[in-house]
Amino acid sequence: MRDLNAPANPLETLAYIIAQQIEDHSIVYIGTGIPMVAGILAKKTHAPNITLVYESGGQDPIEGDMPWSVGCPMTWRKSPTIMEMSYSFAQCYNGYVDIGFLGFAQVDMYGNINTHMIGKDYHHPKVRLTGSGGNNDLSSLTEKMVLVGLQTPDKFPERVDFITSVGWLAGGDSRREAGLIGNGPAAVISPWGVYDFHPVSKRMRVKSLTPGVTFELAQQLTGFELLKPEGAIPETKLVTPEALKVIRAEVDPRGVFTVMPTQ
Amino acid sequence: MAKYLYNEEAVANLKLGDTSVLDRLVDFESARAAHLKKEHAKKDKRMTIGEAVATYVQDGDIITDGGFSYVRTPHQAFYEIIRQGKKNLQMIGAPNTNQSFFIAYGLVTHSHSSYTGAEMRGIDKVYDRALKAGKITILSEWSHGGVAQGFKAAQLGVPGVFSKQMLGSDLVRYNPYLKVVQHPLKADKDPSVFVPALYPDCAIIHCHAADKYGNAYIYGPAVNDLAVAAAARKLIITAEEIVPESDIRYNKQGQIIPFFYADAVVEMPFGALPGSMPGCYYWPRQWWEKCMRFGGVSEENNLAFCNEWIMGTKNQFEFVDKLGGAKWIAEARRQTKAAEADNEDIDFSYEEYTLTHDSGIYY
Repeated sequence: MRDLNAPANPLETLAYIIAQQIEDHSIVYIGTGIPMVAGILAKKTHAPNITLVYESGGQDPIEGDMPWSVGCPMTWRKSPTIMEMSYSFAQCYNGYVDIGFLGFAQVDMYGNINTHMIGKDYHHPKVRLTGSGGNNDLSSLTEKMVLVGLQTPDKFPERVDFITSVGWLAGGDSRREAGLIGNGPAAVISPWGVYDFHPVSKRMRVKSLTPGVTFELAQQLTGFELLKPEGAIPETKLVTPEALKVIRAEVDPRGVFTVMPTQ
Repeated sequence: MAKYLYNEEAVANLKLGDTSVLDRLVDFESARAAHLKKEHAKKDKRMTIGEAVATYVQDGDIITDGGFSYVRTPHQAFYEIIRQGKKNLQMIGAPNTNQSFFIAYGLVTHSHSSYTGAEMRGIDKVYDRALKAGKITILSEWSHGGVAQGFKAAQLGVPGVFSKQMLGSDLVRYNPYLKVVQHPLKADKDPSVFVPALYPDCAIIHCHAADKYGNAYIYGPAVNDLAVAAAARKLIITAEEIVPESDIRYNKQGQIIPFFYADAVVEMPFGALPGSMPGCYYWPRQWWEKCMRFGGVSEENNLAFCNEWIMGTKNQFEFVDKLGGAKWIAEARRQTKAAEADNEDIDFSYEEYTLTHDSGIYY
């Protein structure tokens, strides 16, 4: 059993902030990792009537333990139906899915995602990452997307090293012109801040910052020029003690995804 | 000389010389000819995994995973391919977990990739090292959904599909099979990606039950397998159990691969190990953690790990023995049934493998 009273770590903070993006009664496409925690947290707190959809084909499972993987039986626990993979993504295209969450290794000023490789030379990367998985499919098709990851200047570069998934592409109207579906990325969530995109230029803009993080600090943690919202920057609402207890006691009691990783 | 007009930008970006290496994956005519030449009579196709691999997996084949990452994936059949030392394989990893085992032994030289890794257990450092060392060449970059559409197009019996996935991304710039085209009916500009139907040479699909003819039943996520089974030039079915045809007819309707797709039927209990098998057994989670973490450290570590588990076992029963034998079977079955709400809830706690802690317990 985990210590229910220890201060929140960045992963728990992220999970809580992501969960706040989920509205009750919606259909939510869940990627592996922190989004799984957030989806289940939302369901156990403010959004008990959401339906979760997973890329392995599981959807609408009855409540169970934390899935160990997106292919875990917990993602299709007594599901009324399990989708073949092509049909699962098609539900986003066809307008059945309200919101999806995407992880990233890098995100740029227009919300484009890289999960392929770090480095400037595709053939000699500094490190090869996982590739797309379902990341590109969700980003291409989902009505509303929320991007989730850690924030450093390297992880928030002006241009990502490889565009795995298109956000707002080159800004302005370029996403729509490229033929993509949906409203594009709505928010980027890091442990330091929540960002949205300017309605016209589609450049990343501060929406709220974690208590103690100033705009200047957020800028220093970013590899491109962040836009500032009008007026005072609100503080991001941090994980409440009640929600933290739900995460540790009910959602992820063994810390599969919300204990800082060991090697 | 290639038979197809590939996406030239992608061919250049991937630095592919002779593009004829790309042809077979999209060569409908030869796939159809192979399907026509298959045994169409309803005959007993049972054989051992050794015979099936020796007969139907040839050097240079494009082979693919069934299942999802490490769920219902035919790992044990793939280990037999490794033990038989096949060469120059192309592999479609969508989702992929097996390429790296092959790559470690130099079997796979060409890769069609949509994902390599083990989710939160980490990136695949074996794949990373092999790419940097030039041991493998990536022939095409995909999204999961893009590959799924290519297989589905084959099953639908169409030359390809128009997709809204992958548009605008670098996947299109690193995938010779994809071209951006205009919707033929739309008056306004409306780009799509043309995804051609995909025809792997050999697919191995692990199922819950099959009859001796190859009618094969899948419980849980089918992922791409119904489409892959229809597309592949050669299909090996491995199954947890062989059942009478009447059992399939009367009790197992739902996700069925029809017998005439199958070339070989192999009875192979525990064929998905070390992956999980819905209804049958849960993952040995510590095995994967050790694989990714210990094997990730260096090539030597990875080979030591693979030698111990793959070359060090002759078949899946020896693999089960190494995991803990009957005790492991009982625990793994209990865990998957609990995960599926088919028995009482249990505590899923386990001792995680780390580089400084190896309990040697696999449940």
